[in-house]
Amino acid sequence: MKAFKIGFIILLLLLITACGQDNSADNSDTQEQETFKIGAIPDQDAAELSRSMDGIADYIAEETGLEVEYVPSVDYSALVTAFDRGEIQLAWFGGLTGVQARNLVPEAEAIAQRPRDEEFTSVFIAQSDAGIESLEDLEGASFTFGSESSTSGHLMPRHFLMEAGITPEEDFDGVPNYSGSHDKTYKLVESGAFTAGVLSEAVWESAISDKKVDLSKVKAFYTTPEYYDYNWTINTVDDTFGDGTKDKVKEAILNMGSGQADYLDLFQTDSFIETQNDNYKDIEEVAKQLGIIK
Amino acid sequence: MTKIYDVHKRLFLTLLLIGIFLWSLSSVTWNSDLVHGSGMDTLMEIVTALFMPDLSGEILTVALESIVITVVYAVAGMSLALVLAFFLGIFASGILAETKAGKIVSSSFFRGILSFMRAIHELVWAWLFVASFGLSPYAAILALALPYAGILGRIFADLLADVPKEPIESLKLAGASKWQTLLYGYLPQVRAGILSYVMYRFECAIRSSAIMSFVGLGGIGYQIQLSLDDLAYNEVWTFLYCLIAMVLLIDLWSRYIRHSNAASAAKQWFKFLIPAALLSGSWIYIIFVQKAEFLSLFSSENLLYVKEFFSGLAGLEEEEPAFLSGQAWMEALQLTWETLKMSIMAIGISAVLMMITVLPAARNIADGSLILQKNWYSQLLYGIIRIIYIFSRAIPELIWAMMIIFVFKPGILPGALALALHNFGILGKLCAETIEDSDERPIKNLAVAGARKYQLLFYGILPSVLPKFLSYILYRWEVIMRTTIVVGFVGAGGLGQQFKMSMSFFHYSSITQLLLCYIVLVFIADAFSEGARKAVK
Repeated sequence: MKAFKIGFIILLLLLITACGQDNSADNSDTQEQETFKIGAIPDQDAAELSRSMDGIADYIAEETGLEVEYVPSVDYSALVTAFDRGEIQLAWFGGLTGVQARNLVPEAEAIAQRPRDEEFTSVFIAQSDAGIESLEDLEGASFTFGSESSTSGHLMPRHFLMEAGITPEEDFDGVPNYSGSHDKTYKLVESGAFTAGVLSEAVWESAISDKKVDLSKVKAFYTTPEYYDYNWTINTVDDTFGDGTKDKVKEAILNMGSGQADYLDLFQTDSFIETQNDNYKDIEEVAKQLGIIK
Repeated sequence: MTKIYDVHKRLFLTLLLIGIFLWSLSSVTWNSDLVHGSGMDTLMEIVTALFMPDLSGEILTVALESIVITVVYAVAGMSLALVLAFFLGIFASGILAETKAGKIVSSSFFRGILSFMRAIHELVWAWLFVASFGLSPYAAILALALPYAGILGRIFADLLADVPKEPIESLKLAGASKWQTLLYGYLPQVRAGILSYVMYRFECAIRSSAIMSFVGLGGIGYQIQLSLDDLAYNEVWTFLYCLIAMVLLIDLWSRYIRHSNAASAAKQWFKFLIPAALLSGSWIYIIFVQKAEFLSLFSSENLLYVKEFFSGLAGLEEEEPAFLSGQAWMEALQLTWETLKMSIMAIGISAVLMMITVLPAARNIADGSLILQKNWYSQLLYGIIRIIYIFSRAIPELIWAMMIIFVFKPGILPGALALALHNFGILGKLCAETIEDSDERPIKNLAVAGARKYQLLFYGILPSVLPKFLSYILYRWEVIMRTTIVVGFVGAGGLGQQFKMSMSFFHYSSITQLLLCYIVLVFIADAFSEGARKAVK
């Protein structure tokens, strides 16, 4: 009983000191507040993403003199929420998540993209021996999208499926699965867990060139028309970090080149080019049609 | 006469429950289509990896780091839960109230609060906190603290209310104040009971803390998720072994606390040292290493987000909130129905698995002391089944679901299986202990009188333990109901799956609608289970 009481008193004391500590931390930790935080949707291998984003954080820090840090996120919507709350200043979004984020923060701006993002496509894949040659053949097959918030792994493919007369919730074998990432999608099809799936063509290409996928088991059978996708979107940073911060960051990103090849490689590009909010109107339109954005 | 009625009441209830379970099974079309094309191959890969965990230094370091965070959050969450449960429990027990009316008001009001706190699963709390406070460690800690305080507070209140009144009366007669009767009359009497329950809950808190990663709060669950994304099952098992080891450690610790009669002062100190070290270590880690600021949660900025978030949930920002749309209600109710079936299927499967394995898993049956006969294999069987129980319960439902979804197609079956896999181990442990603690005399008598094994089973063991089994099964069903939403997050069907979708698409009013359905379902399950448990008592 004695030990029980002592324990209880210590616990209360700890709680009280805990609160006291917070007071002082609140005042002295202004340094913490000023870190420029960047994020990326976790749409591919997390370890690789961390590596390249850390590199990009260092690069932006060097170019702009800001203190830059990469903050990993577990899922797409977590990044959008963090962006909305101003916890992330610069984010690598997909088309749909970018639209969601800019709807929440109207002053936010899409500033840069890869050349390939102007003409992005998704590729539908299936097990080689499943005899699937066209979207229509998918009827009755088990199917996996990527993340439900993904543009190339869900939104646009769903749009093109509907155009081909396939309603995902009704025409597949069971309801469609949401794998969560592009890498996982081809791995699940390769392992046989699902007969077919859809993913970003960029990720598919790099999986092939890195020999990460066994082409005797999986094949691509359809590539979608082009649409706009990924982009760097910047939050309202000039208030907190000083006027001109947005321009400085944008310039730094647009100036990336062969010197930064190591981490640009992981984005499957050799440079970033300008973009603007209007480029993503179509995606917003499709998202509204599908009831994803209301 | 009443006795006969009692027996029949139990029989009736048992038959009813079996019937409901069979009905729930009929909602799945049982054929090979349930499994993915090469689901069996994937299953084999997962099972093979079980024996070949990745023991490279890199993975082990990651595992160690993330298990520390998991334990830290669990300890911090539990400590807050204890403080909350202590005060809420006292008020909910009504022992401090002067008048009878005051007692009823105080106890029903605070019991209401407690049951609301525990009705919502910790992961859903976590998500609510992350949405309002951002990704702060306190989101995880509070998310753990609230439902755990709800559970602990209720148990504490029940224990306090059931305390024998004689010592209290004599304290009062001796002129003790209200607080003195509490401190010297009530608390010493409930200490042992609450202590062992707290230890059990701490074990659960570790698992809950592990899955907090799912809303973006670190810990070992995040690593498991990453490895599962890469389909690196051998890494997954390394992390799971860490989790299992933690659960075993806590088991040992709790056994030590309950069974050691701490006579020596050194032992007393040791008993007190572990929790003190854990507590101070955890809070120091959170405050100084993670630099989490508690008061900053209540900044004006956050207040704005909270306001925005709740007006979103209330549908103020949508032209047509989901809860005003008839079609949305139809869909939500359909999912509610599915979720209910999932929970029944889950508890049914785990109960059946438990019944098959529980006898050899009881120590007094395995070593032959209860039935006075022994086989060479019974000790071996005991060991194997107990290990299976540990695996089963140490791994959280959500993580079972993440693996099962690779083998079975999305729907309510994988969800039910994940829930069943986790609860089967818990039920098995509880029920095996019931047999171990049951009155041995009637059974030994039967055995001496020459009863055969099956006769011992039907006339000796089962009648004495079945009521308790039934009440454990009903109790776990309540817990399963609460967890159905969580397995849905990873594609295992029901309300949870739609909940996750609505979260991703920021459809706040439909989240509210799904939460409403979920809470009503949990309350109905609680009421049914409580009624049924009273009936079998």
